[in-house]
Amino acid sequence: MLDDYLKANLASWDEAVGLHVGSELYDVAGFRAGRSSLSEIELSELGPLIHDGTTLLHLQCHFGLDTLSWAREGAVVTGADFSGEAIRTARALADELGLSPRATFIQSDIEQLPDALSEQFDVVFTSWGALIWLGDLQHWADVVERFLKPGGTLYVAEFHPYAFLLADDATPDSLRIGYPYFQYGVPQRFDEPGDYADPTAKTEHNVTYEWLHGFAEILDPLLHRGLRLDFLHEFPYALPGLQFGFLERDEDGMLRVKGHHDDIPLSFTLRMTKEAR
Amino acid sequence: MTDRHPIPPEARAANLALWNHWTKVHEKSAFYDVEGFKAGASSLWPLEREELGPFVGDGTTLLHLQCHFGLDTLSWARLGASVVGLDLSDEAVALARRLADEVGLSDRAEFVCADLYDADAHLGDRLFDIVFVSWGALEWLPDLGRWAGIIARHLRPGGTFYMAEIHPFAYALDEVPGEQDVRVRYRLLPAPDAPDVEPVEGSYADRDADTAGLTSYGWAHSFAEILGALTAAGLRLEHLHEFPTSPAPFWDWMIRDEERWWWLPDGKGGRRNDLPFSYSLRASKPESGD
Repeated sequence: MLDDYLKANLASWDEAVGLHVGSELYDVAGFRAGRSSLSEIELSELGPLIHDGTTLLHLQCHFGLDTLSWAREGAVVTGADFSGEAIRTARALADELGLSPRATFIQSDIEQLPDALSEQFDVVFTSWGALIWLGDLQHWADVVERFLKPGGTLYVAEFHPYAFLLADDATPDSLRIGYPYFQYGVPQRFDEPGDYADPTAKTEHNVTYEWLHGFAEILDPLLHRGLRLDFLHEFPYALPGLQFGFLERDEDGMLRVKGHHDDIPLSFTLRMTKEAR
Repeated sequence: MTDRHPIPPEARAANLALWNHWTKVHEKSAFYDVEGFKAGASSLWPLEREELGPFVGDGTTLLHLQCHFGLDTLSWARLGASVVGLDLSDEAVALARRLADEVGLSDRAEFVCADLYDADAHLGDRLFDIVFVSWGALEWLPDLGRWAGIIARHLRPGGTFYMAEIHPFAYALDEVPGEQDVRVRYRLLPAPDAPDVEPVEGSYADRDADTAGLTSYGWAHSFAEILGALTAAGLRLEHLHEFPTSPAPFWDWMIRDEERWWWLPDGKGGRRNDLPFSYSLRASKPESGD
């Protein structure tokens, strides 16, 4: 079963790479010209820990814009993603921008990554729509712990679990619930054409399986592996990319819930430290 | 630094009147089952005994903040702990003391009548092995930074903080009119200066209780705020668990299981387990030098 989910999701992500490289959302041209793809949130919260030579592992790195943006900030980066298309594109971009000496990209599913990579890192980084593709965060926490040096930092910037709960037809006056907070390992199956970067795109691989994870499901496995929570932050807005009818853009281009701009969290960040024991 | 009391005077007065009144209602309620407690029953949930019980032994010192009339406090005393309960309601504290006397636990149970935020003045530099908080405590507090500071100051190094609480998400829910379903209605992020002020309708323990004229002042909280406050106070989070069950019914159409937890019905005679209604967490105070 898990393999079937993985295959469907991989086909969708392989297809997405081409769409994303040309998309306004990812703005690869701007990135080539020097723009960082990282948000103000990540730059202000993780940036101060990135120095020249800081080693950073980016899990589920897609085609590497964020990974390479951290390289531009001085980090020596390794990006891992299960999509071969994504990894090929990331490597080509790194070459083109002269970042290859400090950027390595590995095609691997999270669970297989320990077979493909042996070093430990100062920072493990993951962001924006990564965790919903993972059915089992116990395995994920194993991998995070495995790749962090003692004293190293995990930083996650993600869509808030609450952002995925509201019904497709939720309105400001009736924010009905459409999806489960607890999924007990059972994925939601979606079969929808289009793409978050381009909703009108004609796509072929439309079936995906996604898992919503609550806070306990995310935090508890990490706590049990000895990581110390440094902070958890919540934000009433999210980066563009979510395609829900109850969202709208604010004046800064961030997504917020219509009629509830300040009272419903749509993003969270967390930082944890693997203590030197 | 301001020394302003974080609870506005009108909110403090209203909530004190409410809790004094509720104490009289609750003493006679089936929900609290005081007779059962007197006969030896523990008022603690199996969840609390499972998760905190292993830390409680003979002579363990335990501080119970916002203890209401002390059933849970005294239930920990029955398990061997030497307990201090603190509550703002003088009616509740008086009842707790009477109950302690009646069941023979006075020698290991002390009750302090004080606002949570005035705890330091009443507890001095006393340190405890455990600080315990449960079920519907945080909603009465606007400032969790001060709350966490009190917890950290009264835990000994190596001590344990444990809390079992209503989930922040559940507080934001309301029923869909005419349906046995819920939707988000209230804020999911904190607003310390904007309490939710509501006329009180009964009690969570007795929905038909006469509470005419009473008003409650409550504050919304979020996980970032709760965990952030504890972390900033120097505590280390050890576990966070979430559950689809509530210790009390939010709406009269919720259904109760054999362990007394309340659930949303699934409309087909079963229970919905998809939304969070409660959570528990444990945090530790590092040994000095850690």
